[in-house]
Amino acid sequence: MTTSEMLEKVLSDLGRVGEIEACAIATRDGLLMQANMPAKGDPETFVAMSATMLGAAETASSELGKGVPKRVIVEADDGKLICMGAGPKALVVAMTAPEVGLGLVLVELSKSAEKVEKLL
Amino acid sequence: MIIETGIPALDDHLHGGVPQGKSLVYYAYPGVECNVFGMQTVHRAISEGGRGIYVTSSTDPRMIRDLFKEFGWDAAEYGDRFVIVDGFSGLVGADSPEQYVVSNPDDAGSLTQAIKQVMEDAREPSVIVFESLSTIMDLCGESATLDAIEEWNRYAMLYDHVVVYNFTAWPYSEDTLAHVKGDIFNSVVSIGGITEKVIFGQYFGVRKIDWDEVTKKCILFKVLKPGGVRVYLPKILVTGPFDAGKSTFVHALSTRAVSVDRLGTTVALDHGHVDHRGFAADIFGTPGQERFDPIVKLLSGEAMGIFLILDSTNTADFVRAKHMLEITESMGLPVVIVANKQDLEGALTPEEIRRGLDMAHDAPVMPVVATSREGVFEAFDVLVDRVMEAGSI
Repeated sequence: MTTSEMLEKVLSDLGRVGEIEACAIATRDGLLMQANMPAKGDPETFVAMSATMLGAAETASSELGKGVPKRVIVEADDGKLICMGAGPKALVVAMTAPEVGLGLVLVELSKSAEKVEKLL
Repeated sequence: MIIETGIPALDDHLHGGVPQGKSLVYYAYPGVECNVFGMQTVHRAISEGGRGIYVTSSTDPRMIRDLFKEFGWDAAEYGDRFVIVDGFSGLVGADSPEQYVVSNPDDAGSLTQAIKQVMEDAREPSVIVFESLSTIMDLCGESATLDAIEEWNRYAMLYDHVVVYNFTAWPYSEDTLAHVKGDIFNSVVSIGGITEKVIFGQYFGVRKIDWDEVTKKCILFKVLKPGGVRVYLPKILVTGPFDAGKSTFVHALSTRAVSVDRLGTTVALDHGHVDHRGFAADIFGTPGQERFDPIVKLLSGEAMGIFLILDSTNTADFVRAKHMLEITESMGLPVVIVANKQDLEGALTPEEIRRGLDMAHDAPVMPVVATSREGVFEAFDVLVDRVMEAGSI
């Protein structure tokens, strides 16, 4: 299996967690590596924005001496967005419905992030 | 006469295209979509007023026409200049609506008969595309197919047809693969996936041509629907000092773009897609103010080329502009300097800007008015040419 196929598997496993509507893996600098986003708009733009968000959060938090943030969570009226670093090269991002509790999603997302880190 | 493949960057590397009477194989590694290459080549031929013949082996002819439509090409528009040789219906025992039907698709002789017939009937030199040579190989056997290919190619040469094959390199015998890559075709274009690097993508590159020199280069591509094969530049950076017009430039260039603007300035990033002259690119526009430098640094990794946007009326910012090139760590990357706001009074000429910036003599400085899109695509063309020259992945 190629690395690309392995990442695809990580995402399709993640997509099987009922609460997750869409997910993607990108480089830290905002290039799409793999997406599982059925009809959810433009994945390239989505991951570029996510990378910027995570990067900005990391800069803001570490500049203030609070260390590197574990994740960025965005709560909007129509859904939630969770963005998480996966090692120094990559990040994982997932989208859920607004009413979803984050417990399971965060656990699964962390697992996926760990896998991605090891694969790259 | 030379037949273009319909993929401009590929035609460049083939020195114009495929000469009449010659053959080309799109040699794809498993897992990479290659049929679109053959389709694009046959579409190019018919849209240029030529004749195109498409030999289908694994797909219903009606589906083929639908597939063409998905890419935005309507085969019906070209009437009898587009012909399908149906090597599929015979397999499933279906009636065929096509004029040319292969009665026994699993027999190379039967296929040869149909192909010779269509080649003879074509009143002018045409382009013949095999939808899937690998399917033919699976049906007829490897050695029978190899023999048949030689016969088809000889016949095509006789009638001045160009023959193009889509081939996926499944685990056939090493001998067979060596023949396909090596000696039975006049030219070989390999198509593969990149999985080693951090960027995941697909590339094509000319592996062999027997009518000119081969320039070994791998070119990233992406398949658009509609549109077909486009050379793909995953990241082109647009940077420059505050208020130079970076966001305006990104929007002027892009078919669709989004920006993160607050109080009239970019705080995070502009992101746009360009589809122009056979090239597709994703454009990343950085903020310009110094307090956002960490973001500029974050976004500039893995860029393939850079636009440095300048306000032509504001020489005070030139130092900052050069500093931004340093922040983006763009040393050695192709850079095009965009002398924006050329419509304003007091705008310096591109030559004056080159001197003011103390840039190399041949550094391209392009006059642009981003608000009215003047010069925007010219600047894009220059950068793309530079990236392609520099460019192997």
